[in-house]
Amino acid sequence: MTESINAGTNNTIVLEADKLTKRYEDGVLALDELSFTIKSSEIYAMLGANGAGKTTTINLFLNFIEPTSGEARVMGIVTHKEPLLAKEKLAFVSENVMLYQNFTAIQNLDYFAKLGGKKNYTRDDYRNVLLRVGLQEEAHNKRLKGFSKGMRQKCGIAIAILKDAPAILLDEPTSGLDPKAGYEFIQLLDNLRSEGKSILMSTHDIFRAREIADTVGIMNQGKLVMQAGRDELTDKDLEQLYMKYMAGHMEAAA
Amino acid sequence: MLKLIIFKELREIILSTKFAATFGVCSLLIIMAFYTGIKNYQSSVQEYNASKAALFSQFETAKDWREVPRLTVFLPPNPLASLVMGISNDIGRAAVIYDSGYQAFRDSVYSVNPVFAVFRFLDLEFIFLIVLSLFAILFAFDAINGEKERGTLRLSFANSMPRATYIFGKITGSFLALALPLLIPVMTGLLLLPLMEVPLSVNEWIRLLIFIICGLLYLGVFLTLSVFISSITKRSSSSFLFLLIIWVCSVLIIPRAAVLLSGNLITVPSTSKIYYQRVQMQMNNIQELLKRANEQINKIAQEMAASGDTSPEAQKRYTDKMSEVYKNLQEENDKKISAYISRLHEERYNKQKQQERLALGISRISPATVFTLAATGLCGTSLELRNNYEEKVLTYSGIYSDFISGKQSQPAQDNIVKETVNPREIPDFYYQPKGFSDILKDALPDITILLVFNIILFCGAFIAFLRYDLR
Repeated sequence: MTESINAGTNNTIVLEADKLTKRYEDGVLALDELSFTIKSSEIYAMLGANGAGKTTTINLFLNFIEPTSGEARVMGIVTHKEPLLAKEKLAFVSENVMLYQNFTAIQNLDYFAKLGGKKNYTRDDYRNVLLRVGLQEEAHNKRLKGFSKGMRQKCGIAIAILKDAPAILLDEPTSGLDPKAGYEFIQLLDNLRSEGKSILMSTHDIFRAREIADTVGIMNQGKLVMQAGRDELTDKDLEQLYMKYMAGHMEAAA
Repeated sequence: MLKLIIFKELREIILSTKFAATFGVCSLLIIMAFYTGIKNYQSSVQEYNASKAALFSQFETAKDWREVPRLTVFLPPNPLASLVMGISNDIGRAAVIYDSGYQAFRDSVYSVNPVFAVFRFLDLEFIFLIVLSLFAILFAFDAINGEKERGTLRLSFANSMPRATYIFGKITGSFLALALPLLIPVMTGLLLLPLMEVPLSVNEWIRLLIFIICGLLYLGVFLTLSVFISSITKRSSSSFLFLLIIWVCSVLIIPRAAVLLSGNLITVPSTSKIYYQRVQMQMNNIQELLKRANEQINKIAQEMAASGDTSPEAQKRYTDKMSEVYKNLQEENDKKISAYISRLHEERYNKQKQQERLALGISRISPATVFTLAATGLCGTSLELRNNYEEKVLTYSGIYSDFISGKQSQPAQDNIVKETVNPREIPDFYYQPKGFSDILKDALPDITILLVFNIILFCGAFIAFLRYDLR
């Protein structure tokens, strides 16, 4: 690859939610004064049931929706005020990466890399990044039509890597991946962290979250109900806390 | 970034199976339309020349112009009419002219080959109107909601890409991808014209090119409409269904409904009704005529009786006077009836024009009608063809009538051995189609409407996408 990684130092706050609130037109409060910060070389895992507000948070960072109040900031840039500038600092991998089915893996990478402003990559760069995410060479020039979900996911991650943005947003990235692919994915996130990337990941997978995240936040009905560092949690604690906050099983925790 | 989106769109469509299918079908249909059109034109030219030659041969035996009771004139073949047929196959190609006027047109292509009336010919207008407009929908019905369903919209907008650039690139790319399978076979077809020796003037080449531009504008309407509908519906299946309904209304229902509606709003008297009115008028007049004739004849008879002169000279004088009365009354009556019939025909013509204007006005809400009118207008096969042809035949029938009257009024030379008449003396019938500037002037409003449709739908798609929920 020809471009360098653009990440801050260890103490730089890259992603920040500041009293982020979103109420939809139908009155549903999707997010209620959510606040957190993610520094460089840090992985933040957002856990929560469906409708807890995880995807809404990601949508606010991507400015797909505007906040009712509060701010989402990327490297200090308020996303709804300067969305195009903020998106330059963001890469995104969605839950079900489909990409363009008539394009090969390399053609997809080429398009999205250019869309992300990276125009100098060569085919070798694309091959290298695809190998890095674990996509075998014989698949590089095949159309995505025949790709499995795991293979598509790898392409999605490769696109995020190629963008070389300081922050990466992952929306349910491990859903549907087999254990091997899931393991490889965790290894990859670890590598990205060591390169200085800040990662915000929404997931249902509490064990993978515990395994990789520096900080785990549990969300329920739009609120961040618990936040803890990895060292503070054991797998058992996390499972109990998750059940308690996610499903409202207060007694279970007691 | 715009270039990137355009190329992506172009590449995505070109690599798709639907493009391969579209390209194959378009190429086959368009080249076939050109080939069969050219072949039809060539056979029309042969038929036209043969009919003219046959016409002259029928005069060969005539010894006197009095033996030449009628003349047939033919509509010369138009090379553009073989590509955009319009009404050219429906109207009669021959008009029979008598010394007293002309009869209705006859020998239309469909009357000669009724099987074509059932299935119709394949021409460029049909391909654009039906086939390519459906392809435009097929290319773009999921332009926006399909991208959302596939998840590529979110991924694209996770980058710093302005929405305006995206939608503009999307529409442009789709348009280019649609134009490509069209322009390659069209260019091939255009090459066939000189290769198969179809004589096209510069003016006809320009009209053909403007027709192709109109076709592209028409496809642009359905393309921008598809993107617009795709931007206001959540699922691609819904947008496809809506677009199909709009297409059916626009191409099949509105033009026919407009004609029906105008037919109900403005009633045009039928020719049989006019004939009945004429007979009624004649019957009423004959009573009046007889009454007045009797009065005047009685007067003359009384005058004759009063004079007491019964000499043969006096009797002849009175008989002549009576004949004069009859003749005058007859002439007066003929004039009256003729004026009445002219008025009926004029009223019918005006009503017909009114009905036509109303039908076309209403149906212009459909881009399909607008395209048809522009295309047939440019290729000289619109409704104007009939009017223009009729006008030219009427003018010519006057010229022919004068010529034949002049010839027939010459005294017969019974004691001289007669030679056959020389048909070359008959004045030529020239069908001069409308001039280029007139054709362009007539087609311009429809071309402008197509352009306006494009602008409105483009703006609609643009605004709808700016408000589109990307989640």
